[in-house]
Amino acid sequence: MSFRQPSVLPGFGLTFGFTTFFLSAIVLLPLAALALAAASLHWSDFVHVVLSPRALGSYRLSFGASFLAAAINLVFGLIIAWTLVRYEFPGRGLIDALIDMPFALPTAVSGIALTTVFAHNGWIGRYLEPWGVKVAYTWVGVTLALTLISMPFAVRAVQPALLEVQRDLEEAAETLGAGRIYVFRRIILPAVLPALLTGFTLAFARALGEYGSVIFIAGNLPMKTEITPLLIVIHLEEFDYHGAAALGVVMLGISFVVLLAINLLQAWGRRRHVRAAH
Amino acid sequence: MSITLDQVTKHYAGAPVVNDVSLDIGDGEFFVLLGPSGSGKSTLLRAIAGLSGVDHGRIALHGRDVTHVAARKRGVGLVFQNYALFRHMTVAENIEFALRVRHMRAGARRQRRQELLRLVALEGMDQRLPAQLSGGQQQRVAVARALAHKPEVLLLDEPFGALDAKIREELRRTIRQVQRELGITTVLVTHDQEEAFAMADRIGVMNLGRLLEMGAPHDLYSRPATRFVATFLGAANLILARRTPDGIQMGANTVAAAERSADVDEREVVAVVRPEEVEVAASREALSSGYLARGVVAEVVFTGALESLRVRLENGVQAPLLAQPDGAAGASLLVTRTQHEQRGFEIHPGQDVAIGVRRVHVLPTPLSSFTACAASPALADALSRQPLLAELAVRMKTRIAMRAEPQLGVPEAACAADGPFVGTTALASQADCAHRAEWLLRRGAQDLLVLPEHAAVPQRVLIHWMGEGSRSATLAVSASVLRHLSAEAVYVGIFPQQSARVRAQHGMRDLLDARSEAQLAHGLEMRTELRFGDVAQELALRLAEAPAQMLIVGVTELTRFAERFRGLLDGGQWPMLIVYRGSP
Repeated sequence: MSFRQPSVLPGFGLTFGFTTFFLSAIVLLPLAALALAAASLHWSDFVHVVLSPRALGSYRLSFGASFLAAAINLVFGLIIAWTLVRYEFPGRGLIDALIDMPFALPTAVSGIALTTVFAHNGWIGRYLEPWGVKVAYTWVGVTLALTLISMPFAVRAVQPALLEVQRDLEEAAETLGAGRIYVFRRIILPAVLPALLTGFTLAFARALGEYGSVIFIAGNLPMKTEITPLLIVIHLEEFDYHGAAALGVVMLGISFVVLLAINLLQAWGRRRHVRAAH
Repeated sequence: MSITLDQVTKHYAGAPVVNDVSLDIGDGEFFVLLGPSGSGKSTLLRAIAGLSGVDHGRIALHGRDVTHVAARKRGVGLVFQNYALFRHMTVAENIEFALRVRHMRAGARRQRRQELLRLVALEGMDQRLPAQLSGGQQQRVAVARALAHKPEVLLLDEPFGALDAKIREELRRTIRQVQRELGITTVLVTHDQEEAFAMADRIGVMNLGRLLEMGAPHDLYSRPATRFVATFLGAANLILARRTPDGIQMGANTVAAAERSADVDEREVVAVVRPEEVEVAASREALSSGYLARGVVAEVVFTGALESLRVRLENGVQAPLLAQPDGAAGASLLVTRTQHEQRGFEIHPGQDVAIGVRRVHVLPTPLSSFTACAASPALADALSRQPLLAELAVRMKTRIAMRAEPQLGVPEAACAADGPFVGTTALASQADCAHRAEWLLRRGAQDLLVLPEHAAVPQRVLIHWMGEGSRSATLAVSASVLRHLSAEAVYVGIFPQQSARVRAQHGMRDLLDARSEAQLAHGLEMRTELRFGDVAQELALRLAEAPAQMLIVGVTELTRFAERFRGLLDGGQWPMLIVYRGSP
């Protein structure tokens, strides 16, 4: 494979230059600075910070809740996208616009709103309280907040893929004797799987980095409801820049590994899709 | 019967897309549904497959009523225009799909798959993905896939639409071969008449949601019953002619008709002359067929095997009138000639030629042309522009003549214009309309169309006749009108109030008789309604119920006509076609 690909548009050199420059300035440079800051920490201090029980607890919550939120959005995002793509109903445009609201809302507002609703004396929280279900100030609340803010990613990623699933294919399967569940499993799901994975990845990544909405509803009890981004902020407030950087690097590392794994999975899926394509 | 459709109707957004279609397709028959896009043929096919429901009617496959059975339980195989192959599955997985759904064992599946691949000549392609196949190969896979579960019926929805000519022909042969080998009842939907001719045992031609005609390809081509089929199946010259005891009179000359007709009435008819049945020669004497007229060659197009000409008929009293309104270019006749004919007599644009006709077919339609009749030429001209009349003339590919009768409606006054009334006479609906209508009917107008100024194309046509003498004519006229409208037909039977008890039984029988006669003799499907009371009153009530309705009424008796019809005719807001057949 040659590095240089022929293209209709000239100017590969120029565009490639811009790409590298842009990525370096916006993404790589700050990340390198972060790594550098962490590197100035002594190895044993570094281990001490990143492997402290409090830090471990926050990783568990951050990654666990993000994963759970992305998984919830995987299922419900598909259902919402399906409804929007497949059915005509009054107010469809409104609902379609509503999907993007979490994008536009300052995340702190989402957090306050959620807390109002789910606090033990909130609109819904007060009815859950007698049943022993606590949402606010528990990991459930954290997951809820993350689900809310990462929902648009899942929906918007699946929507175009669903639009492309031809009705003909389902009808063909139907005339061949397949029931609805079979059609969904064997025809629709394989067609939207790559988009679903993309949606999952985006939602997961978005949830990992979330800070604003979570701190209101989480209660921020160390070891229990404290997410890693918050722990980083706490370190910063104590002027422990190196500790903050160390946690940042760990988060960066884990995120990178997870995202890379999903990307590889997707690539593998694509290859399988067009197994022997010319 | 493999497939039986009984009065199948499907509406979309209020308008019928499939309009009362009844059809029987025999075991092992290759049936082609032919029609322009939007004629409802694909919708009908999808209804047979169970992919779209029907609003009325019944569908049976091999005697089993499947009207309310889901597509997956109907046991049909469907092939789509765009193949609809599952792109993430191999050829083998695609073909085995229906078998896997049915939990067939792997060994048996493989065996069936090999069988099918052999059938469509794709052996060894098992492990390919659809993206690696050509369009023709993909469609072969789709055919194999549709046949895997041994369906009772194979449905093909424009299967060759996306393929180029050479491959199309090859695939046509394959499908026909497979169909014969398996003896499977097949319905193919297409808009391509050549494809229909090449493949069909029987063709059904659809237009505006109606199944207009059915028959073997050759019969439909040589003896069409409707203008639409005549012009849609190949090219046709429609000529307004006069049926006389001696033959078919076109202009000043009379040609023998291709078939004898039981209809002895001398009247205006629509004659069909295929372009290949027209002969051109240097002079009248050199013609080997019946002389028609002289003409000037307007256009010569070489198309390979055939040469296609447009010959403009010399304008004059002697030239026969063409039914097509051909705009400013004037009426011209389509002619095709073989290489052999071309060698015998070379033709150039501008050349003056004699035209002969080898074979003339007369359409059985009772509606030939329209004559707008009014008190003055200016009023007649205005009437000829009435939207419904103009639309009907365009759809029926016919012309609107004009006739001025200054004495229109004046009792005892004679006709001012020369000659008998020709075709359907149109009259504007106005205050004193009933008298004028009677005046015209008494002076020889047989079919009279009364038009309110703003009447638009109707969505429902009510049919009624007074007196059995006009029954068959009314049905024939109704069938002819309805072929050009996407409206539903409703026969309204009306009986006097007081005799309800006894007459009701007769009434029901009459209703059913009327329906079956319409169906058998005229190919017209109609709904039926029974009412009691005064005829004109009940009809007016029924017409007032909904907008966009039209009334076709048959009469045999003109006594007290104006009086009886005043309520319906004077200032009525609906178009009304009166079919008058006085007893001799």
